[in-house]
Amino acid sequence: MAGRRKSIAFYIAFGIGLISVILILYIGWVQLNWRHGVLLVLGILLLIIIISGVILNTISLVREIHRNEQKDAFINAVTHELKTPVASIRLYLETLQTRAVDEEKRKEFYRIMLDDSDRLMATIEQILRTGRMGAAGRKLNLVRIDLDGLVEECMVRTRAIHAIPAEALTFHPGAPGSIMADLEEVRAAVSNLIENAVKYSGKDVRVRVETEQVDGYVLMRVKDAGVGIPKTELKRVFKRFHRVPGPLASRVKGTGLGLYIVRSVAKQHGGRAWAESEGAGRGSTFFLQLPVAK
Amino acid sequence: MTQILIVEDEQHIAEGLRFNLEAEGYQVQIVETGEAALELLLAPEAPFDVVVLDVMLPGKDGFAVMSELRQAAQFVPTLMLTARGHPEDILKGFAAGADDYLTKPFELAIVLAHLRGLLRRRDWLRVSVNHAVAKPEPTDTYTFGDKSVHFDLLELHVRDKIFPLTLMEANLLRYLIQHEGRPVSRKAMLEDVWGLHEDTDTRAIDNFVVRLRRYVEDEPVRPRHLLTVRGVGYRFVASPLIRGQAT
Repeated sequence: MAGRRKSIAFYIAFGIGLISVILILYIGWVQLNWRHGVLLVLGILLLIIIISGVILNTISLVREIHRNEQKDAFINAVTHELKTPVASIRLYLETLQTRAVDEEKRKEFYRIMLDDSDRLMATIEQILRTGRMGAAGRKLNLVRIDLDGLVEECMVRTRAIHAIPAEALTFHPGAPGSIMADLEEVRAAVSNLIENAVKYSGKDVRVRVETEQVDGYVLMRVKDAGVGIPKTELKRVFKRFHRVPGPLASRVKGTGLGLYIVRSVAKQHGGRAWAESEGAGRGSTFFLQLPVAK
Repeated sequence: MTQILIVEDEQHIAEGLRFNLEAEGYQVQIVETGEAALELLLAPEAPFDVVVLDVMLPGKDGFAVMSELRQAAQFVPTLMLTARGHPEDILKGFAAGADDYLTKPFELAIVLAHLRGLLRRRDWLRVSVNHAVAKPEPTDTYTFGDKSVHFDLLELHVRDKIFPLTLMEANLLRYLIQHEGRPVSRKAMLEDVWGLHEDTDTRAIDNFVVRLRRYVEDEPVRPRHLLTVRGVGYRFVASPLIRGQAT
């Protein structure tokens, strides 16, 4: 909110500045009409300033509008992600309360409600984590982490949640060594990458996760055969709230926070995250690179 | 049987609704995408009596599905059930052609009541349309024996006497006449004449019949035209044969 107000103040100041320049030019033109040569040069200079100012202004405005649109889309997505599990839990509770339900169904309903509360918790975690990313003066709780162990742990969890057979989601550890990092943060980043690969694979899940050590960094590679990413979107997918436009990715629900978290975690730990893809429909590979512990 | 189509990609919610609607005696089909819903609903003779439509669907969203259905003259009663509860979303839903709009999370009983309301409204409309169509021409009369029913005037003429009928009496009589000779159950009368599906006390119908008999029968205690079919309902006979057979 404060940021938006600041930018509005900036635009007002900028506009007043531009108007003063035009006024000075006008007055100067009237009073010093006789000094043609000097004024011509001055005029052209000022005109260029004004024009570039207007262009700059427009670009910023367009960006601002774009950001607002993304925020709206984000709020819609989050609303959906928060309300749907609650609606589902409520529905089953009311069903159990008002109807005769046999033992088997009852157990199934309990399982569904547990799933929904897990899903709700995961969304809340992501939102809170994103909020913390922006907070200034935050301290990382650095510990020594064995990356292979952490990846294995996340893989087991993802397989269990999505009921994926081991051969569809494979891990090829390359003993990359350990890192000094905040365990919670890195776990979130790793599991976001694996979850994404599964989510964007559709029905045919073929995900391969690899680790190795390259030039003093540990590198994790998550390769899927899913929907893929157009070249122009490879960088943008890591932006906050950003979701790839078009029908392909919009079939998958999400808040647009997952990859932003991945990139932020990588940056905080002095590493980086990026993506490669042959294009839409041809799968994609995500990389997470973190410095090896000394 | 009343058929309900649920268009919902969240499996848990779709299955939860299915369980409850089936417990209420409806037949339920679930589809997960807008495209699948359109395909089903735009097929000729789509059998659905009411549709529950989510908005945030993969691919085509609920608003688009709604307006495509209406443009294609598919006017099946539709309840939009969605997490999006902003006033502009609700307005958008109604503008697209929704009959009703509820937001998630919802109360089960409320959703069921709204669905019942939609079904009832449709039935009532059907009844009144039937009347409008059948209404008539000044010669909308039916004659049996020495009696004639003037549906347009809501009058029953017996020889030189004239009995005024209420609208519901006339409707019931018309319904029985349409099924001349065949037994008609009380439940069918309630559904088709009154448009009620509830377990309303069917004895209300008996009162109507008692009154009709006063007009139609020469001796109301020994009816010849409006016969009781034990355990089922009633039967209208235009020209009874011999006294003994009729009872």
